[in-house]
Amino acid sequence: MMTAAAKAPRRAPISVGTGLRGPHMDEVVLTRPAIGWLEVHAENYMGGGPGPRRLEAIRRDYPLSMHGVGLSLGTAEGLDREHLRRLEALINRYAPMLVSEHLSWSVSGGVYLNDLLPLPYTEESLLAVARNIDAAQDALGRQLLVENPARYLSFRHSTITEPDFLLELVSRTGCGLLCDVNNIFVTASNLGLDAVAYLEALPGAAVGELHLAGHSRISRDGASLLIDDHATRVASPVWDLYRHAIRRFGPVPTLVEWDKELPPLTVLLGEARAAAQAAERAIDAAAA
Amino acid sequence: MLPLLETQATMRRALLKSDSSGLVPLIASQTASAEVQIAIYRNNVFASLTTVLRDTFPMVCRLVNERFFAYAAHEFIGEYPPQRPCLTEYGGDFANFLEDFPPSRHLPYLADVARFEWLLSVAANAVDAVPLAPSALASLPPEATPRLMLTLDPALGFLESPWPIDRIWQTNQAGADASKVIDLDAGGVHLEVNRRRDEVIYRSLDVSVFTFRQALRKGATLEAATVRTFAVDEAFDLAAAVADLFRDGVVTGFVLAEAMGV
Repeated sequence: MMTAAAKAPRRAPISVGTGLRGPHMDEVVLTRPAIGWLEVHAENYMGGGPGPRRLEAIRRDYPLSMHGVGLSLGTAEGLDREHLRRLEALINRYAPMLVSEHLSWSVSGGVYLNDLLPLPYTEESLLAVARNIDAAQDALGRQLLVENPARYLSFRHSTITEPDFLLELVSRTGCGLLCDVNNIFVTASNLGLDAVAYLEALPGAAVGELHLAGHSRISRDGASLLIDDHATRVASPVWDLYRHAIRRFGPVPTLVEWDKELPPLTVLLGEARAAAQAAERAIDAAAA
Repeated sequence: MLPLLETQATMRRALLKSDSSGLVPLIASQTASAEVQIAIYRNNVFASLTTVLRDTFPMVCRLVNERFFAYAAHEFIGEYPPQRPCLTEYGGDFANFLEDFPPSRHLPYLADVARFEWLLSVAANAVDAVPLAPSALASLPPEATPRLMLTLDPALGFLESPWPIDRIWQTNQAGADASKVIDLDAGGVHLEVNRRRDEVIYRSLDVSVFTFRQALRKGATLEAATVRTFAVDEAFDLAAAVADLFRDGVVTGFVLAEAMGV
């Protein structure tokens, strides 16, 4: 007798999530859209009030990913212990399936600059970032996924490529990677790198999440630059790169981010469906 | 090679103080000039923080206009950048900054509108507090009462102003009757801000209750707060004022100050 187990194994569908921003919260609570999971910026829920309570309600229905933007893993000054404690409290409260941060810095001289600023990729930076990731993973008692940033400049004294830097962080700290496909595309375009070669150089087994988002193009003084603004749909060449990422990394949970000029929730959900379809086609093509 | 600490301090200065001279030589050449590349980060920093301030101070923005607000915010961010990554906590100094900001001196009430909006924001983002039952104080010996320091709900805030801030606030809301004229000499206000469930509310207090509650908020003992309140109102009813605090559910804890001069 033919049993389910005897058939060709049915691969698990890819789990696609969307970023969850304040203006969509009520609608998500009321309509409970079909979406694999949701990701929030950790810093938005470190205070009190209705937001964190609504997030608790949402957490009852959806797996959650905590995406930090303020830990400043790249700072030479060491982590802000108070901020780390607040992140820990948040993780205890919401039990997220994933916790992620960025390969960037935002704190210098005790000032928080609210942007994901670029690092020189040197041995010294590697030591500093690895020490900070170790401290964070120790304090939080779990693995962090570290995201590649969108970059608009590189430092003259960098001696290590970004994928090699990430690879080295993975081997030194045991962290995972959040591979932001749009950021690779933006960085590669701005700094004259090969996006596919970048993707190929990442340690595939460490990639625990993928990000997709929109970008825009600006022209200044005759030069054209891509800006990772999370304000539009995912661009066509980023979809190509995403399919490549899925073929290379397998069906990794994927998130569609949209932060500025927030569209109606249905548009965001449509982008998530597009991601799921693109991923399934990429997997099918790879299997064929 | 510049140490990482120095590289980051150099970039911080380039972004906040618009002094790129130290950073430009550190940047590898690309199609776009280093200045253009730095400007993208600088714009990210200022634009995102201006948005934070605009969200916290919408009425200040409405009273001055978008362009002036962006200018004031830019100056403020450069001088008083955030020190923590939780940005609902950024902007507590904006009112003081506006008070000393020469271009807005012709709007003498603007700083108090900013103080009011800051209190609204603090209330909206305050952690949920559990009210203390009056019975919690029952076990205290009567002689300890003067040394009692009541902890008030973190959402609670107080604003005293010589300007009619509540009327300015209401009259300038979107959709309010724009033809209504506010008499700036109508007298000042003593306002209390709080949050009921999810709604931030405010109300006018009489000067004695305001003085009493504000003194407690600042950490005064019951005795010190009472002395201060009697100075503004000899008829102050202490028992009723304490009962009202519990009735309003704004007492969340207490400590006893150390006995003095024993």
